[in-house]
Amino acid sequence: MLDALFRFFFELSPVVFSQGEFRFAASTGSYVAAAAVAVAAGLTILAYRRGHGRPGQRVTLAAIRLAILALILVCMFRPLLVVRAAVPQQNFLGVLLDDSRSMQIADVDGQPRAAFVKGEFGATDRGLLKALSERFTVRTFRFSSAATRTTQESDLTFGGSQSRLGAALSGVRQELAGLPVAGLVMVSDGADTADAALGDAILGLKAEGLPVFTIGVGRETLSKDIQVGRVVTPKTALKGTTLMVDVVLSQSGFDGQKVTLDVEDEGTLVSTQQVSLPNAGAPASIPVRFTVNEAGPRVLRFRVSPQPGELVTENNAREALIDVRDRKEKILYFEGEPRHEYKFIRRAIPEGDNIIVTSLIRTADNKYMRQGVDGPDELVAAFPKTREELFAYRSLIIGSVEAALFTGDQLKMIAEFVDRRGGGLLMLGGPRAFAEGGWTGTTVADILPVVMDRNKVQPKGSVMRLSIKPTRAGAATAVTQLGATEQASAERWSTLPIVTAVNRIDAVKPGATVLLMGTDESRAERPMLIFQRYGRGKTFAFLPQDTWNWQMAASIPVEDLTHENYWRQLMRWLVDGVPDQVEPALTTERVEPGEGATLTANIVDPSFVELNDAAVMATITAPDGTISDVPMSWDGEHAGQYQATIPTKAQGWYQAKIDATRAGKSVGSAVTHFRAAPGDAEYFDATMHAGTLRRIADETGGRFYDPSNTSTLADDLRYTGRGVTTVEEHELWHMPIVLLLLVGLLCAEWGYRRVVGLA
Amino acid sequence: MLAVVVASAGVGATPDLSTVADPGDPRAEYDGRFAFTRIRYGAAVDLAGGRFRREPTWAHDFPRAEFNFQKILSELTFVPTMINQGNIRTLDDPELAKFPIAYMSEPGFWTMTDAELAGLSNYLRKGGFIIFDDFRGDHIYNLVSQMRRVYPEGSFQKLDATHPIFHSFFEIKDLDPRSGYYARDGDTEWLGIYEDNDTRKRLIAIANNNHDLGELWEFSDTGYMPVDLSNEAYKFGVNYVMYAMTH
Repeated sequence: MLDALFRFFFELSPVVFSQGEFRFAASTGSYVAAAAVAVAAGLTILAYRRGHGRPGQRVTLAAIRLAILALILVCMFRPLLVVRAAVPQQNFLGVLLDDSRSMQIADVDGQPRAAFVKGEFGATDRGLLKALSERFTVRTFRFSSAATRTTQESDLTFGGSQSRLGAALSGVRQELAGLPVAGLVMVSDGADTADAALGDAILGLKAEGLPVFTIGVGRETLSKDIQVGRVVTPKTALKGTTLMVDVVLSQSGFDGQKVTLDVEDEGTLVSTQQVSLPNAGAPASIPVRFTVNEAGPRVLRFRVSPQPGELVTENNAREALIDVRDRKEKILYFEGEPRHEYKFIRRAIPEGDNIIVTSLIRTADNKYMRQGVDGPDELVAAFPKTREELFAYRSLIIGSVEAALFTGDQLKMIAEFVDRRGGGLLMLGGPRAFAEGGWTGTTVADILPVVMDRNKVQPKGSVMRLSIKPTRAGAATAVTQLGATEQASAERWSTLPIVTAVNRIDAVKPGATVLLMGTDESRAERPMLIFQRYGRGKTFAFLPQDTWNWQMAASIPVEDLTHENYWRQLMRWLVDGVPDQVEPALTTERVEPGEGATLTANIVDPSFVELNDAAVMATITAPDGTISDVPMSWDGEHAGQYQATIPTKAQGWYQAKIDATRAGKSVGSAVTHFRAAPGDAEYFDATMHAGTLRRIADETGGRFYDPSNTSTLADDLRYTGRGVTTVEEHELWHMPIVLLLLVGLLCAEWGYRRVVGLA
Repeated sequence: MLAVVVASAGVGATPDLSTVADPGDPRAEYDGRFAFTRIRYGAAVDLAGGRFRREPTWAHDFPRAEFNFQKILSELTFVPTMINQGNIRTLDDPELAKFPIAYMSEPGFWTMTDAELAGLSNYLRKGGFIIFDDFRGDHIYNLVSQMRRVYPEGSFQKLDATHPIFHSFFEIKDLDPRSGYYARDGDTEWLGIYEDNDTRKRLIAIANNNHDLGELWEFSDTGYMPVDLSNEAYKFGVNYVMYAMTH
């Protein structure tokens, strides 16, 4: 509409104005006219200096008269718009058609987006393609992951699993390099699924001065849709771990409706819950709790059942890959005095569990008992004295033991265990723990999530009696979940017996999160479970000294597993994400079949010092069982980081076993998985992304169109100034806008005189 | 070492009974420390006819036995222990749950109400541990019979010296069947009930048949008992507590 108005007033398209250059084609007569206008202007000023009316009215009338004279003067100088126009059939035009699956979404009056593409670009004898072909030599490309030439309508399948706008634009630019190209036309819904930024492709186009004219197909909002927007899961988890995952739901057209959110582990339902959908445009984060009980690479599917009237149902589910590890993870528990808490914590982890609690308990002065050790030599000299010995454990629990028992180097080792090794540290409450145990001012105090004050300690012999409940942060964390649902968990916490604490903690570190809060007999609240990340690892402080009450209390049924579950969850969180000596990582869990997967591995020695001189080999097992070796090399930038690109062919699971050796000795090995499969990113955020397409057009000097205003596209493309062009001069003095302006000014003068009584 | 400790902490250190308001029914207030918990029960019959006994069977050796034992335990180990503090609980007392190690004297006379039966059954299944002491001769039959009601899936099994309970603090290498306080009434046996009746699991109960550790603890500071016998009695007691705290 605006475009048509513009053309009515200015006779030419906005593109011509944007591409053209203003000039004046003045002649001798122009200068004579200029002199006449100058005289007229002088007379006007003289005439209005005195006369009827107030000064302000005379100034207004003089200004209008001078404006009329100025407009006439401009026209007498013959303003021209000089523009370079493409010579018909002498220039090439690249047309890029989006061939991805999202083009099948029927959000345009019940018609799929692809219908526009087929109707306008399906054949050279119809639609836009016909208009373009009359002016240019058209090269048509279809694109999803990359652009390929297409010559017939049947090439368009709209089945691509990706839309890589940048790659398509760069590919076509390179393919047409050397030809006289007037510009590019991109027809797409603008949903870019590429990880790489679009900016690089636009820079290339700008450097070459190649404008892109974009046509956005589809609606900017879907009338009825539910989308599982984002699911953040850990990459690895220990078998039997209960995970709490935030699922972000968004919707349009289903405000407040109740739907079922399911989680499937390789097809088996592991969690289901009713959720109320948020208001349109306000994504809501829904906590979902489930347990991973099957080992291996597991695809978890988070799904909301399709609702009647939904335009896109493919975005109702999102998948996440978790490598569920079935292996033993050793935690060292060092307890400074025999107490019931020690026994019940050990009892909470059943034999055969993936967590092994190796414990060292001081029973008397310089007398220790070891439990859960692998052999007679383990911990034979009490608490580890070397980094290699300590770092062999994945997490460390320090019970009621005073800081003075450790040497300075052992305290430093504990801090490094968290910071450098990436282990988890949990300090338990007790008479010899925290400030009461002299830990204030030690290197370990620096890494703990609580602030200790040696002047504010709990008086000896006094205990705080506390009821415990989760904070808001705690309620959203797997470790404090005691029920199948958030409500059940909250109810369980409210009925648990009280516990006691003998350590006074008034403040936590700025980066720490309080997960459990205790209320004492004076109704004062005190942090009980506090967590923070530190360096590569994490630290916890847990103040209660007798959670065994949650097992023994008369109000707790014998079969109740609250105490066991709490400790199993806490232990699992403690070892979660703790790195190995060989720690693999993938930039993405899924690649398109045929693409390469970038595999990295961090290699360290037993004291977790990065190694840059290791020999690292990745043994790849493809879906068909074929095995290949891919050497990994140090990336030269990051200490200890090795990299390789793993080629894929067939669709399915790929296993990468990484073995690192140094000087003929094994450093370690690790296994990771990824899959080659078509992605479903096309259906997420599946609205038409006008912003992206407008950006491409604006930054390259092109123009953005929607399907209803493409009638000027073929003409606009003539004026890109590229390729084989001729110079066109467009006289501007006879534009309707000039006449309208002149008439308007005359009317304004007359009207004003009438109003102020000077007519 | 133990002998020295007995001499310093036990012998000559008469228990201060004044701290116990009512020696018949003291109750420790739980504060996180270990409290020696004596089980009070209703005896089915007073076999002594009430003529010679000054206290009920459950209270035999109270409070001197536990007071002396508490001191020894506290001196020798790092177990935070309540000193000179009795703690008498019935099996149906909900507060018993706060003290996961219990001691019963003279179980030959032990009877239970249904509530007590349920209390002990739950206590042991959740993680509690009980020591049966001070019985001889045919008293074992009542104990076995009562425990069959409490824990029908388990039964008393004879323990040998290789069991971890005899090595949890002191190394007790031999279990001499003639070493018991009531050896004249029969060989001393150390009997245990395993959790789920599985010998790979923890003991939930131990019984000193034809023995009386409590008697030896009680008189360890009087000179009535041989020091060696008292020392051995303390070793067993300390080991039982240490085992129950760690298994």
